[in-house]
Amino acid sequence: MNASKLFVAGMALSMSATAFAAGAHDGGHGHGATSGEPGKASEASRTVTVEMYDNYYEPEEISVKPGETVRFVVENKGNLVHEFSVGTPDMHEAHQEEMMMMVEHGVIQGGKLNHDMMNMDMGNGHSMKHDDPNSVLLEPGQSKEVVWKFSDKGNIEFACNVPGHYQAGMYGEVNFE
Amino acid sequence: MKPRFLTGLLSLLMPAMVLAGEYDLTVDRVKIDTGDFVKEGIGYNGASPGPVMRFKEGETVKINVTNNLDEMTSIHWHGLILPFNQDGVPGISFPGIKPGETFTYEFPIQQAGTYWFHSHSGFQEPDGAYGAIVIEPEGREPFRYDREFVVQLTDKHPHSGDRIMRNLKMMPDYYNREQQTVGEFFSDASKNGLMNTVRDRMAWGDMRMMKADVEDLQGFTGLINGKGPDQNWTGLFEPGERIRLRFINSSAMTYFDIRIPGLDMTVVQADGNNVQPVNVDEFRIGVAETYDVIVHPKDEQAYTIFAESMGRSGYARATLAPEEGMEAAVPQLRDPARLTMADMSGMPGMDHGSMAGMDHGGMDMGSSEDMSGMDHSSMEGMDHSNMDSMDHSNMEGMDHGSMTMGKEDKSDPFYAKGSGLMPKAANGGKFLSYADLKAQDPLYEDREPTREIELRLTGNMERYTWSINGVKYEDADPIRLKYGERVRFKFVNETMMTHPMHLHGMWSILDVGAGQWNPIKHTVSVNPGTTVYMETEVDAPGQWAFHCHLSYHAAAGMFRKVIVEGGPDSTQAKTDAIAEDGGEV
Repeated sequence: MNASKLFVAGMALSMSATAFAAGAHDGGHGHGATSGEPGKASEASRTVTVEMYDNYYEPEEISVKPGETVRFVVENKGNLVHEFSVGTPDMHEAHQEEMMMMVEHGVIQGGKLNHDMMNMDMGNGHSMKHDDPNSVLLEPGQSKEVVWKFSDKGNIEFACNVPGHYQAGMYGEVNFE
Repeated sequence: MKPRFLTGLLSLLMPAMVLAGEYDLTVDRVKIDTGDFVKEGIGYNGASPGPVMRFKEGETVKINVTNNLDEMTSIHWHGLILPFNQDGVPGISFPGIKPGETFTYEFPIQQAGTYWFHSHSGFQEPDGAYGAIVIEPEGREPFRYDREFVVQLTDKHPHSGDRIMRNLKMMPDYYNREQQTVGEFFSDASKNGLMNTVRDRMAWGDMRMMKADVEDLQGFTGLINGKGPDQNWTGLFEPGERIRLRFINSSAMTYFDIRIPGLDMTVVQADGNNVQPVNVDEFRIGVAETYDVIVHPKDEQAYTIFAESMGRSGYARATLAPEEGMEAAVPQLRDPARLTMADMSGMPGMDHGSMAGMDHGGMDMGSSEDMSGMDHSSMEGMDHSNMDSMDHSNMEGMDHGSMTMGKEDKSDPFYAKGSGLMPKAANGGKFLSYADLKAQDPLYEDREPTREIELRLTGNMERYTWSINGVKYEDADPIRLKYGERVRFKFVNETMMTHPMHLHGMWSILDVGAGQWNPIKHTVSVNPGTTVYMETEVDAPGQWAFHCHLSYHAAAGMFRKVIVEGGPDSTQAKTDAIAEDGGEV
């Protein structure tokens, strides 16, 4: 059957470097926007705590200045695995396919992450580690930081790309002051 | 159970703070115009469907129902958790509502979501006596949307319910237009060989079934919110908005396959209970079920909501559009579904010996085979050479059963393997399965059931009798449950029809193999040739109805009374008070 094909596809799809790759072919909205770049904690102007519930964020919008570096402390207060990912709607859509694969491979199992599967070598140095600097994937009760330097004005959202969560409304707006 | 207790406590301590709403409903003779035909029917507040009843979780509702008919009536609040004497089933909850009488229902609203209400008397429900219920939660919804619409479906037939039942009893294939013809016999014979075709037909004859019996009631017009396909109910939106659609199937007999070409749908609720969101291209809604989906139309264009009946004998159609009058293309009906031998596999007494020569080629096994049943020996030709760098030692925890091998290759475990009813999305994409439904926030803790009760769903199509464990309602003893137990029901469908089983008063925890995340429903669909398990926390004293929600199956006897014995003293059921004279259910 297609088992071999699936694995080839799995190996070809990198889970890393998504933010930049997807950002490069963004532009569907004509802003030419990028979501920004990883920031240095020492340059962060402030800390914003974002709580993740099943399936929504608190707060659901934040305001930033162009060029501002923000330190996000992200806490999963729900019972399901959730993601906090900064990007444009197109980037989120592209990332959702990878997240779907993580569910299909049993990496994301409702309220648990299978860490062995995440670290599994998929060949060519790829894995499903989910280690992009623009996002964190958290089990219930976990807390992690994302330090992000917002570049210019654009259509930027923070979103959970666990399959179905974004579509159900687990996203928040980033407004530029 | 805890939240319910708290609500009760709060209402004791702070009676002044409890919300209370009073509502009036009249039960009336109405005219129903489907665009194809006009008929007399029954409705609420002068129309069919009746109004959308909007309640708030935590509120105590008082509903005055005035019967303007010249016959008994009743209203059942489908899916609501309430005291049994408010459940509205004549002969089980109360005697019914006499002509000219006003009956006042009063009960606390202790849940949120999309539900519906309908008459539980005679065939008033198929005749038009139904409406929608929308309950706003106390806290926020765990999803976001800008606007919402109820999308309530029914299968409106030109004949009255009484007449349909008489005709079905006289001639069970009266409304079956898809029967195979002599011409088809010869074309099958030339394709499959004469002996195979004869054997196939003889096997179906032995089972007293007609091969095309996916739907035993055809000739209906599908309605959405009371509008036929040409009347085209339309919901307006602004491009970029997220829209919550509350689908309710209020049909007498018809399952619908629903899609909105051009839009992905995210299922967020089933039978009023939030589920972990699932992105789908299409879903099947059983009779009496509800599904809430969120769609996100970004373009300035119209979209067709297309609901084909499971047997493809009819459809309902509506439109989402930025402006009144805009329309999108209406798809063609797909080819009629045909049952296969796999759908008969649950039937006892089938002589499998005579089936040796059966042509399995027509059984559609190839494309629907899933991983668990896969013959690994056929994988010898696989090229493993690309996989050298993989470290297999880490793979032990991998669940091959849940792997999707390309979307269209996945078969739905809730259908018999090779079933002619196996749903497929029109665009080749994702079709919702019960296996995808996981509770968003489980209501009950998972625990071992205290006992199992087997319910064989049985029937004889030739005499149009439908029953449970071979016994129809009027000859059956009630099912007795004990307050506080957790019962595991095992449904074994020995018929070739799909049965949407509805237990009143208590939740049906559908076993999808997800343990504590198993979803809770009020209606559980059991496909032909399959066994489905559900568990019930017996937490509601009194007596309740438990039946197939296909109107004519329930009336023919696929129905039981459930008695819950024991319970807290204050709510001890006073079931003796229920008169038997209103006993029509």
